[in-house]
Amino acid sequence: MDRMHEFRLSRPDSLDEAVALLARDPLARPLAGGTDLVPNLRRGIGAPSVLVDLSGVPGLDAIEAGADGSIAIGAGVTLARVVRDDAIARALPALQQAAASVAGPSHRTAATLGGNLCLDTRCVFYNQSEWWRRANDFCLKHGGDTCHVAPQGTRCHAAYSGDTAAALIALAAEAEVAGPQGSRRVPLERMFVDDGAKHLALGRGEILLRVHVPPQPAGSRNAYRKARPRGAIDFPLAGAAARVALDDGGAIASLRVALTGTNSHPLLLDGTAECVGRPVDEAMLGGLAKRVQKQAKPMRSTVTSSNWRRTVAAVLVRRVVAELAFAPG
Amino acid sequence: MPKRILDVTINGTRREDAVADSTLLLDYLREQLGLTGTKRGCDGGECGACTVLIDGEPALACITLAARCEGRRVETIESLARSGRMSALQAAFHEKLGTQCGFCTPGMIMASEALLRRDPHPDEAAIRAALGGNICRCTGYVKIIESVQAAAEARE
Amino acid sequence: MKPGAPGVRGVAVGVRQPLIDGVEKVTGRAKYTADLPAAGALVGAILRSPAAHATIRGIDVSAALAIPGVRAVVTGADCDIAYGVIPIAQNEFPLARERVRYRGEPVAAVAAVDAATARAALDAIVLDFEPLPAYFDDAAARAPDAVLLHANKPGNVEREVDHVFGDPDAGFAAADLVREERFHYAEVTHAMMEPNAALAEWDAERGRLTLHSVTQVPYYVHLALARCLALDESRIRVVKPFVGGGFGHRTETLNFEIVAALLARAAGGTVKLELSREESFLTHRGRPQTDIRMKIGLARDGAITAVDAEIVQRGGAYAGYGLVTILYAGALLHALYRVPASRYRGVRVYANTPPNGAMRGHGSVDARHAFESLLDRMAGELGLDPFAVRRANLIVPPWRTINDLQVNSCGLGECLDIVERASRWRERRGRLPRGRGLGMACSHYVSGSAKPVHWTGEPHAVVQLKLDFDGAVTVLTGASDIGQGSSTLIAQVAAEVLALPLDRFRVFANDSAVTPKDNGSYSSRVSFMVGNAAIRAADALRRELIQAAARKLEVAVEDVEADGETYRVRGTDRELGWKDVVNAALEPSGTLSVKGAWSTPPETQGGKFRGAAVGSSAGFSYAAQVVEVAVDEETGEVRVERVWVAHDCGRAINPLAVEGQVQGSVWMGMGQALGEETRYHDGLHLRANMIDYRIPTIAESPPIETYIVEAPDPNGPFGAKEAGEGALSGFLPALTSAIADATGIALNELPATPEHLLAAIVDRRRAAQLAAAKAARAAGGA
Repeated sequence: MDRMHEFRLSRPDSLDEAVALLARDPLARPLAGGTDLVPNLRRGIGAPSVLVDLSGVPGLDAIEAGADGSIAIGAGVTLARVVRDDAIARALPALQQAAASVAGPSHRTAATLGGNLCLDTRCVFYNQSEWWRRANDFCLKHGGDTCHVAPQGTRCHAAYSGDTAAALIALAAEAEVAGPQGSRRVPLERMFVDDGAKHLALGRGEILLRVHVPPQPAGSRNAYRKARPRGAIDFPLAGAAARVALDDGGAIASLRVALTGTNSHPLLLDGTAECVGRPVDEAMLGGLAKRVQKQAKPMRSTVTSSNWRRTVAAVLVRRVVAELAFAPG
Repeated sequence: MPKRILDVTINGTRREDAVADSTLLLDYLREQLGLTGTKRGCDGGECGACTVLIDGEPALACITLAARCEGRRVETIESLARSGRMSALQAAFHEKLGTQCGFCTPGMIMASEALLRRDPHPDEAAIRAALGGNICRCTGYVKIIESVQAAAEARE
Repeated sequence: MKPGAPGVRGVAVGVRQPLIDGVEKVTGRAKYTADLPAAGALVGAILRSPAAHATIRGIDVSAALAIPGVRAVVTGADCDIAYGVIPIAQNEFPLARERVRYRGEPVAAVAAVDAATARAALDAIVLDFEPLPAYFDDAAARAPDAVLLHANKPGNVEREVDHVFGDPDAGFAAADLVREERFHYAEVTHAMMEPNAALAEWDAERGRLTLHSVTQVPYYVHLALARCLALDESRIRVVKPFVGGGFGHRTETLNFEIVAALLARAAGGTVKLELSREESFLTHRGRPQTDIRMKIGLARDGAITAVDAEIVQRGGAYAGYGLVTILYAGALLHALYRVPASRYRGVRVYANTPPNGAMRGHGSVDARHAFESLLDRMAGELGLDPFAVRRANLIVPPWRTINDLQVNSCGLGECLDIVERASRWRERRGRLPRGRGLGMACSHYVSGSAKPVHWTGEPHAVVQLKLDFDGAVTVLTGASDIGQGSSTLIAQVAAEVLALPLDRFRVFANDSAVTPKDNGSYSSRVSFMVGNAAIRAADALRRELIQAAARKLEVAVEDVEADGETYRVRGTDRELGWKDVVNAALEPSGTLSVKGAWSTPPETQGGKFRGAAVGSSAGFSYAAQVVEVAVDEETGEVRVERVWVAHDCGRAINPLAVEGQVQGSVWMGMGQALGEETRYHDGLHLRANMIDYRIPTIAESPPIETYIVEAPDPNGPFGAKEAGEGALSGFLPALTSAIADATGIALNELPATPEHLLAAIVDRRRAAQLAAAKAARAAGGA
């Protein structure tokens, strides 16, 4: 049965107030679309005293296209809006595709970009009811001291499963974060840590305000591909985003690849610089796939085997890079 | 438990009700207002049976806090019939057997309503995309797609 | 016209009829159990066992009872009477006593003024359990030193079946090709959209109980409540409101229904018990995890010479329908094709998982996959097309199977012709581009079990019709419409016989205080049995009306002809309108009440051997289907592009509903074939939600081209047979056959998840590389 605790809902109408509320109370939690937080609360995961509703904070719901081709997207912009936005569709198809692949249409009208980026990590031993987790002695991520995915280890292996993070990391986006000490900008991939129990490098009271997507390199293309059990609703078992630019000879001029669903954080694939100058052929793609196989570290955090997720992550990367390289026009 | 006065428009009628901060829109509709057409099919955000419209957009009442609907317009399945006559979508789901057990039907129809308002002539792919979050266990979806197509034609 | 004879006038039968309760469903007015007004009702909640197998040393509820607002706490101590749907296998208590046998088994329950208080009360209950060894698969449970789940069941075997019909050894000896393979099937479950719920009202002054519940079988619930609460049956009323699907989950009394009643009685009031989705999954009763060894002998022309099957089912912690399931699996190896000899060994095993039970296609589905898959492959070895091997074994009715099942109609041949043509099988099979494939298979099912679960000797089905001053015909039926459209069908049947417009009828169903007893909606019995009863009831009313008209018009009965709402003296224009004929009929004694009853003919009730009743039916449906797939060989992902299905339902009383049922069956088969499965972590249900239990979404569900075949059954109402189950089991083998056509890989394990298929593809690649390396070495050495 429902285990949702009583909590207070705060609806601040300024950023300062929101930050102050979150900084003041260690049990306060920010609330964006709520499409992941509320189901977790209904399962008795966490008992926040206050939910700080960010929807009233001004300025978080803007999509601003700069004259230089940059795009800033507020954390409060819903995924439905991301999907529909023309500027995003034109310049950042990876982001549009990732946003469109999140859950179902009725989630995306509420779910926000910021919420999807800050999505809690997921695990079959974690996304269960209070009764279930208690019967299983809880887990390292919440209330227990063992990770049931890897009982010998000392860390939590819950998987990061936000789709848009992979796209935005491939697009070299930066996160703008505000906190009690003011605001800062970091490369998006550095907002995350490879630890399922604490995967966000955000301090107490810090809020993701917006992401800044820089102008994309001339001639570059980007896309996101996702493996999931069904055609809708599901979180990624593996997701891959890539941004590819070719030189005049058809060799790689620049390449960024990011993964989600495989590790406890969204991952900027290491070593893609070595592809620069090489033609997009079997050897190059095979080498890239090997890098994915090495860096993607899915664990048994889903009902689907980790081996399949790793294999398919590599397939997705090969395919998306090849598609982008050989796409007409 | 903290409560507040919620000022919200439900099916065209503005109302003020005391709700707890942690009350789900689903429970507010079903328990406080007796609008039981909106169904609870899962433990949160998995099945679409509770789909309603908030400011014209499809939303899941089972993971929406009622208090966040302040100042917004909520439409449920009960709002679609006019003077007791079924809307085109309702008539199509009825006549084409887009409903069997009926439990997913209110959510399915509300998600379809949102689609047809946005896109009055959806192709099959658009229908499949718009209803992706609504699980039906009876029909295999074939007659659901036919129902939405028939309604789109009837609404012309 | 003989009532119920295959000839129909088409007044109502054969009409594409929207559901008579459809308006309520699309407008949100339909009240399901959780929707019923229950002002002031207490909130019920169940505490579930965290242990898979343990001795209950004590349950301390004192702290819970002390919480203000808690009105009742019940435990196993409050009910010491075991229940179970099969009278000879009742070994379950609504709340566990002495021992818990699966994680999630109810151990205590509370009724409180609100949900928060109920929750707090559950948290305050202290369980003192002593763990016992727990077994999560059949091999562990059957180990010689395993602790017995039930003391009277040695080896943890609930039921063993050994059936031999004909001379299978001689059949195999005479065969030109004999093959044997092993198969494995994951456990699947119903996951109907409506979570479980019950509303129990205890009238303390009069000692009466009213229960509203989500059941498919109100009568069985009635019996179980009387038994477990030790109440006279007359003091109980069971009502079934709108029900959001069942698929077999609700074909037996479920623990929460009795728990709600126990709570209501203990609290002296009304208790609403709504289970979460997770709890609904834990209540389970789905299709068991199954292992099959299948052996078939074929003659060169494809004729089956013998079948030998061994089937082991992990049945979970309690008996439930288990013995029926294991018998069905063997019985329904027959009656699809001519099988001259068979041997069947079935073993139903207890394990510490939620109990299994009946699920759409009960008992037949996994066995059908194994049979069809092996038959398909053997046909290939013999150089026969998959359609040809089926045609070589068609039943020509009337036909008595070797296990004494009576087949009186069979349209399978026509089903085959249709889907072969529609899918352009001959042009396309084996000729599609790499990664695309076509597969086919056949299936069948019973139209109701010829012997009911509770064999009391009464008719199988009774329908009453009531005609009163208002001129409306009220149909009273206990048949449970759970979305399949049974209420609509019964009205159509009555309207056809009486030649009255459908809106003259209102169907009142499922209130034990008013409606006649009905065994419920399971084993696809309703269209056939209740349909026949409705014909007889309507015919009885027709005769009454004709007699009344004859009296009024002062002519002989033979001289009156009924023409819809007009009753006329034959060959004249002397006639009575509806109002007048109704008045004439009511004149002698007022309100007119007639009934019709029906029972299965004795020759359809199966043979004399132990277990013979299971699988026997008064009519078998048949189906053939072709499935087209696209397989991604790098990921193992399978996309079903299209399905062509033809189903012989005897007579489509409501073609619209038949299509809906057939499509739903095919699609549910797809869910099992592609991705649905339960799984347990030390007995904890890992997928008790609608994300990890992978019900297909609309996004990846294929078009299903549906064809109705009508081979009328002499016993069926207007020739009708079932339409809601038969097409399910054919999907699974048609899918794996299509995957084999696309990739060359024969899957003997379902679901065909991407990871299973990819593993098979990788294995094959490795084997090929190994073989190539070996060949290269051999060549180098030469």
